[in-house]
Amino acid sequence: MGGLWSYFRGLLGAREMRILILGLDGAGKTTILYRLQVGEVVTTIPTIGFNVEQVQYKNLKFQVWDLGGQTSIRPYWRCYYSNTDAIIYVVDSADKERIGISKDELFHMLREEELTDAILVVLANKQDMAGCMTVAEVHQALGLEALKNRTFQIFKTSATKGEGLDQAMDWLANALQNKK
Amino acid sequence: MTDSKYFTTTKKGEIFELKSELNSDKKEKKKEAVKKVIASMTVGKDVSALFPDVVNCMQTDNLELKKLVYLYLMNYAKSQPDMAIMAVNTFVKDCEDPNPLIRALAVRTMGCIRVDKITEYLCEPLRKCLKDEDPYVRKTAAVCVAKLYDISSGLVEDQGFLEQLKDLLSDSNPMVVANAVAALSEINENSPTGAPLVELNTNTINKLLTALNECTEWGQVFILDSLSNYSPKDEREAQSICERITPRLAHANAAVVLSAVKVLMKMMEILAGDTEFCGTLSKKLAPPLVTLLSSEPEVQYVALRNINLIVQKRPDILKHEMKVFFVKYNDPIYVKLEKLDIMIRLASQSNIAQVLSELKEYATEVDVDFVRKAVRAIGRCAIKVEPSAERCVSTLLDLIQTKVNYVVQEAIVVIKDIFRKYPNKYESIISTLCENLDTLDEPEARASMVWIIGEYAERIDNADELLDSFLEGFADENAQVQLQLLTAVVKLFLKRPAHTQALVQHVLSLATQDSDNPDLRDRGFIYWRLLSTDPAAAKEVVLADKPLISEETDLLEPTLLDELICHISSLASVYHKPPTAFVEGRSAGIRKTLPIRQGSTEETATATTSTTANEATVIPSQDSLIGDLLSMDIGSSVAAPPAQAAPTSSNIDLLGGGLDILLGGGAPDVAPPPASSNTGLLGDIFGISSSPTLYTPPKTCWLPAEKGKGLEIMGTYSRRNGQISMDLTFTNKAMQAMNGFAIQFNKNSFGIAPASPLNIGTLQPSQSLETGLALNTTGPVQRMDPLMNLQVAVKNNVDVFYYACTVPIQILFADDGQLDKRFFLTTWKDIPAANEIQYTLNDVRGTADTIAAKMTHNNIFTIAKRNVEGQDMLYQSLKLTNNIWVLLELKLQPGVQHATLSLKTKSTEVSASIFQAYDMIMRNA
Repeated sequence: MGGLWSYFRGLLGAREMRILILGLDGAGKTTILYRLQVGEVVTTIPTIGFNVEQVQYKNLKFQVWDLGGQTSIRPYWRCYYSNTDAIIYVVDSADKERIGISKDELFHMLREEELTDAILVVLANKQDMAGCMTVAEVHQALGLEALKNRTFQIFKTSATKGEGLDQAMDWLANALQNKK
Repeated sequence: MTDSKYFTTTKKGEIFELKSELNSDKKEKKKEAVKKVIASMTVGKDVSALFPDVVNCMQTDNLELKKLVYLYLMNYAKSQPDMAIMAVNTFVKDCEDPNPLIRALAVRTMGCIRVDKITEYLCEPLRKCLKDEDPYVRKTAAVCVAKLYDISSGLVEDQGFLEQLKDLLSDSNPMVVANAVAALSEINENSPTGAPLVELNTNTINKLLTALNECTEWGQVFILDSLSNYSPKDEREAQSICERITPRLAHANAAVVLSAVKVLMKMMEILAGDTEFCGTLSKKLAPPLVTLLSSEPEVQYVALRNINLIVQKRPDILKHEMKVFFVKYNDPIYVKLEKLDIMIRLASQSNIAQVLSELKEYATEVDVDFVRKAVRAIGRCAIKVEPSAERCVSTLLDLIQTKVNYVVQEAIVVIKDIFRKYPNKYESIISTLCENLDTLDEPEARASMVWIIGEYAERIDNADELLDSFLEGFADENAQVQLQLLTAVVKLFLKRPAHTQALVQHVLSLATQDSDNPDLRDRGFIYWRLLSTDPAAAKEVVLADKPLISEETDLLEPTLLDELICHISSLASVYHKPPTAFVEGRSAGIRKTLPIRQGSTEETATATTSTTANEATVIPSQDSLIGDLLSMDIGSSVAAPPAQAAPTSSNIDLLGGGLDILLGGGAPDVAPPPASSNTGLLGDIFGISSSPTLYTPPKTCWLPAEKGKGLEIMGTYSRRNGQISMDLTFTNKAMQAMNGFAIQFNKNSFGIAPASPLNIGTLQPSQSLETGLALNTTGPVQRMDPLMNLQVAVKNNVDVFYYACTVPIQILFADDGQLDKRFFLTTWKDIPAANEIQYTLNDVRGTADTIAAKMTHNNIFTIAKRNVEGQDMLYQSLKLTNNIWVLLELKLQPGVQHATLSLKTKSTEVSASIFQAYDMIMRNA
């Protein structure tokens, strides 16, 4: 039945999915955004503000918002929460010092009412760096086991090498379709 | 139920609807929503709550939508300074957009967003745009630098934008050059030091001259304006600039023409006046100026105001063009009056006949103001062009015969001036004037007529009758007429004392007893005293030869004229006022001056202020100060019974009376303190040992012996244990003993007054006495100029002496001048930035701590000390005795001899004195 429903919706011109890419500064959010959009690694500068791009993945259209991660910008994330379908939370696996802050920001965000139904994808990024944390370590450091009532998954990625992103997007696309 | 529900955002209403539309998926709907938002913004509704939602629409490939969002941003970024940061990334991206229009749009909007927090992020994109391949983007970026300079001058200098802007002067595109020039001149004008930040040199000037021929008319105006700020290094360069600019005089745009005229006027200062080149240049300047007068009246007016300046500076240029300034019947009145003014300036022997017949014509027009001015103009011609005086006078007589009331009155006013200029030449017409005596109803005309009667009393047989008839309504006359009447009657009395004694006594009593006008009363008293003591002296004073009046009484002062010449083609040249007089916040800007021709005298550097400020000025003679004297109100502060010295009405002792009261019946309640007369020095010594005192300047000579009839006064100010005092040394250099000393201060800015009488007894010849005169600040207050000036009168048995001295402001710093840290911060923020004044202290020695300690001794309290990037910042406060708070920030760099002092106060008049005090304390204490 769900399949048929989405089929009709596809015919009627599917609504764009709204996805936020969040995470601390320097985690690789902008790189991931453009990797998804144009499939290439672009040189980026710190995002003071936001980027928004249309991304077509398989047969789904996403409107992807990449928000800056600087301390001064984080308070404004909340302006973007409403109507969000999914959150891609990017973590710099090599930044062990700030993983705690990353965790705090993540849980602070998940407490927001507007995001109750949003699907969460955590990307343990920069897996290509030497001495980085493994997925399991990141999982534990973020305290993801405490998450209840939330569709979520964690993936190891390397945005510069393009590894792991496809799996994550596949999973996300599936999860979004199932949600309907 | 709490009331908090009233404050939660509603889910209804216009704002909410707009919000959801802005977040819509459909682009068209979004655009419509932004349009609605802009519409609300334009009519004044507050839509700032939609800031995040509008900003989210910013990243779009739709140019129309982008422009709308930018428009919104320019308006509301200031009200949402924190949130504005969300727009930065979009700006950065747009500055790299392939479309040059979008790049320019982004950089222009960036310049209009005046939010400190985000300016630093905008530097990189701006830098890129300054080097953009598209000239339109470069030009927009150049203007943006000037805007950024206004927000944060330091940033522009640090980021090297000035150099980049300078590079743009050699740009291949003339539009870019023109805008870079405009930006640079704006930056130079706003520079905090007043000195131009970017100097033009021969090289850049050549590039500007090349671009001049190719750019738009407004670009040409910018280039010409900055050329006018350039001083060529020699005559040859000036000449070549002139040659290349001259073609601009033929431009159709009046602004271009006037700017070119300005440059040429400045360059001509450098060129030798007698050369052929200068002559031809003068000839070339005339036709374009004449052409300007054929445009519409408003432009004509601006041109005329500028021509008025040019004619005053260089009369030769337009001397043959008199005819174009003849008034047309359909000219608006403001053009007519201005033309008339220029006509008089151009009038000379060669054209006077023509001018006079024109003026006579004008005097029969209908517009009263214009007619009056025309009549005055005839009088001015008579004074200016001597050979024509006779014709002018006969013209005026013809006009008087018309019996038109205001013409007659105006004519009488100017005839008075003609009498002044040519004494004993045209008195034959007086009888004609007297015929019209009854018709005069304007004060100025009446006063003039009375003056004429008084001046020629000996030739008018019935002068006493005429004046007597005026006296009947004396009380109802205008003050001007009353004064003239008083003088005229006294003149009459001195010339014909036989029958006029009653008259003069009548007028003197009217002036001194029945009038409450102080000027009139004073003049009455002085005449009375002069007449009663020494009629011969009175004759010398009242009937003295008058200085000749010059032909041009309304010329602008030369320095002002030169400054205005530098501002030709601006508002200043229309107002005939320097820009500082009507533009706020430009006071720091340097005054423009005309360049000095090489070989002429070089101006010497300005003298140091500290030495000149301490010099006391002896007020020359008491005669010129009679006005001041009365306001000094000697004796009243001691509250002596004034009944004791009841002056007889015939001999009113104005000069001595007050002080006599002070001495005779004075000091009833103030017992002189038993302190010995040499407390001055001893006090100093004790003072230092008990508690640190403030810096006391060394004594200076206030009254030299030759001006004080043998009495020399040296003095300084000090403060010990919170008591302000004036330390004085009196020396008797005369041959006889002096006694009966008393002192009195004029009203002054801070109400400084003696708290006790002067404690000096008898001063034997060649004896020297020291005394400390305790002061308080409860006396009468009157703002002085200079602010810290104090006028002092000292009396002894010989005479009364007057001198003025400068009070060092630090003695007025109160003990309780320490502000709480937080209070300091809020006060600092409360005072508008316009009230902040900067000053550079030179010759600074010692560390921040020793300086702070030094300052504390002088009641300048250090609130906080911070170290920022190797610089020591001292935050200090002080309070003046009249409760003016002054907050200061002192920036010290270790190892550097000068420091920057920023001052904020609500009354900025005190700043100069405070800076002086800082200098003095730093250097000496």
